[in-house]
Amino acid sequence: MMNGKPSRVQCPLCGFEFEKTDSVCTHGCPLGRFCKLIKCPSCHYEFPEPARPFRWLAKWFHQPRVRAGTLDLTQLEAGETAEFVGMTPGAEARGRMLAVYGLTAGTPLTLQQKLPAFVIRVGETELALEGDVARTILVRRRAVPATG
Amino acid sequence: MSERTVILVGNPNVGKSVLFSKLTGKFVVISNYPGTTVEITRGEMLFDGERYTVIDSPGVNELAPRTEDARVTCNVIRDHPDGVIVQVADAKNLRRALLVTYELARQQRRVVLVLNMMDELDACGGHIDTRKLGELLGIPVVPTIATANTGIHLVQKSLAAAAVPRLEGEPFAAIHRLLAQTYSHVRPRQPTFAQKLGWWAMHPLTGLVLVALVLYVTFWFVGLFGAGTCVDALETGVFQRYISPWAIRLVDAALPFPHQHETEISDLKLEIPFSPSRGWEIWRNQQQVLSANYRSEAGGLSRFVHDFLVGPYGMITMALSYGFAILLPIVTTFFLVFGVLEDSGYLPRLAVMVNRVFRGMGLNGKAVLPIVLGLGCDTMATMTTRILETRKERVITTLLLAVAVPCSAQLGVLLAMMASISAAAVAFWFVLMVGLTFLIGWLASKLYAGEASDFVLELPPMRRPLLSNVVMKTWARLEWYLKEVLPLFVLGTAILFVLDTFNLLEKISRWAEPLVKGWLGLPPQAANAFLVGFLRRDYGAVYLLDAAKSGALTPHQVLVAMVTITLFMPCVATLFMIARELGRKTAAAIAVFVFVFAFLVGGLVDKGVHFLGF
Repeated sequence: MMNGKPSRVQCPLCGFEFEKTDSVCTHGCPLGRFCKLIKCPSCHYEFPEPARPFRWLAKWFHQPRVRAGTLDLTQLEAGETAEFVGMTPGAEARGRMLAVYGLTAGTPLTLQQKLPAFVIRVGETELALEGDVARTILVRRRAVPATG
Repeated sequence: MSERTVILVGNPNVGKSVLFSKLTGKFVVISNYPGTTVEITRGEMLFDGERYTVIDSPGVNELAPRTEDARVTCNVIRDHPDGVIVQVADAKNLRRALLVTYELARQQRRVVLVLNMMDELDACGGHIDTRKLGELLGIPVVPTIATANTGIHLVQKSLAAAAVPRLEGEPFAAIHRLLAQTYSHVRPRQPTFAQKLGWWAMHPLTGLVLVALVLYVTFWFVGLFGAGTCVDALETGVFQRYISPWAIRLVDAALPFPHQHETEISDLKLEIPFSPSRGWEIWRNQQQVLSANYRSEAGGLSRFVHDFLVGPYGMITMALSYGFAILLPIVTTFFLVFGVLEDSGYLPRLAVMVNRVFRGMGLNGKAVLPIVLGLGCDTMATMTTRILETRKERVITTLLLAVAVPCSAQLGVLLAMMASISAAAVAFWFVLMVGLTFLIGWLASKLYAGEASDFVLELPPMRRPLLSNVVMKTWARLEWYLKEVLPLFVLGTAILFVLDTFNLLEKISRWAEPLVKGWLGLPPQAANAFLVGFLRRDYGAVYLLDAAKSGALTPHQVLVAMVTITLFMPCVATLFMIARELGRKTAAAIAVFVFVFAFLVGGLVDKGVHFLGF
């Protein structure tokens, strides 16, 4: 239902992260329709939208800002068991959707495979997820495989 | 006798429908994938002299109207404020079930909790203290194995004791506490073969091998055995040899007018197909039979009735023989295969395999379920698009079903037509259809505003399909199919008959000549096929098949006809279903698009193939 990956940008000046739709320029500007600049709603700095290859590169170097010790699902190896911690910021709605499958904080989950889609086992439920969803799921490695 | 209402509620794929049919004795379609029940079913149950109305609802994971089927369930619950709720739970997935129980508790509903599939819980090493769970929740908790009829009586007995569950505070914490007190688990034994098979089905490599294997078996069983052997046996062996001549003689005796029916040679060959190219012939026999064709100018009213029953467009010689002899075996074999696939739990794993491909069409892997079902019956599949979450996905899937997914009846006919063209032409047809499917999907996903939903799909355990359930399900679907299809066949034949009697067929052929002959390069009579195609796409295809078999079409024309008829309008029933599901406007838009598109591509293929000099 929500899929916010391409429309999220970060202001290069102040570092504020926002949805692109929030950044429309002052209404009534005659050039508004053709304007390719994005305005940061926090510091009002105007900047051009980063081009595709840059965004692609940024994806490689971008480090997810999450608490130490937590990983996202894509960083686990197939066959590993970990504890579900929560969702990345912005994916809370998706978290509520996953909760109905029994994926609540503290629940152990096993990553069964990564290709062609991620498959996790939560209790006796097997769930298939695609990469975009898996990236927003945060987990913590556990020493002892859990029961239940 | 007082009347009471019992509503079956629960997560998807927990066995609500099985329980429903055990309680009411009414059969509903049951499968091993989430989202089988998209509409509510009502039935009656008599117990202890009380009459109960039992309602089966689509499975929900939460009582929020997020998808179409969840909306249906929420409405049912709301509309029966004093009905008893029988919450059916998969015993293996108690945590998830309790989330639904929690929401029911918040709505102050009286609940009986049924823990179904206790045998599977046992097999995977789990144990639930049902008595303690019942005490903690303050409601009756009944363990059952619905498929084996275990515990059904207890469910009926506990209805009177239904109460509002005691579940308070933060839901996840409350459920966690409950589970800690009642659920225990021993490490499961070695993974079973079914589990391993489930993993192989999703493995990038073995998964593809399995896809190919499933496709081949389906092709063999439906395309070669169903559309070949069974159709031959029924059409030639039964209809052409016995029913038609018998009906012709009977009508001739009852309504005499001077005419002489032609005879033709009927060649019946029964074989078991081992490979696409060569079958193993068991039996062959040629015989002279009466044909519906005759030459005579006399007649009047008796001739009119005669032709209506056994003429070239007669009810017995055309409508019934097409409906029963050609389509029935094809549809039956398809639904058998589909039933086995669904019950095995393979289809959701197929969705995992194709998710990435479907992403390119603005859909996700879940859409594979309606698409595969569409290979059986597009009308049924259009109804199943409800399991998709966003309107965009529903519209695109419906469009693809309408344009490019041939139903089993049509597919069988197309397979038969392929026999008269070269392998290269068949490959061309296949690649073109798959290519167009992606093109249309891709374009639609770009043009139609809205988002595709996340791909999160629950995978049911792989199970050995129960033969009885597969047969019952096939039977239920066939019954539905015959009820929907045969009237349309009779109607279509009647229209053709009227047009033929008043010589309108020729006029229409002439009127459509620029389009059919000029643009598509087909003989003008093919216009009749498209006319019939309005009623049912497969019926139109059967018509073309007859033309192809009798040599009225060149291989080149067969290819053009195949392309056009594959892309052509889905049957009227599908159109009605689209209108019901997506609204009249969308249905009209889809119909116009399909019509224009089919003729456009058909003509382009004709011109293109001519240009390339084949």
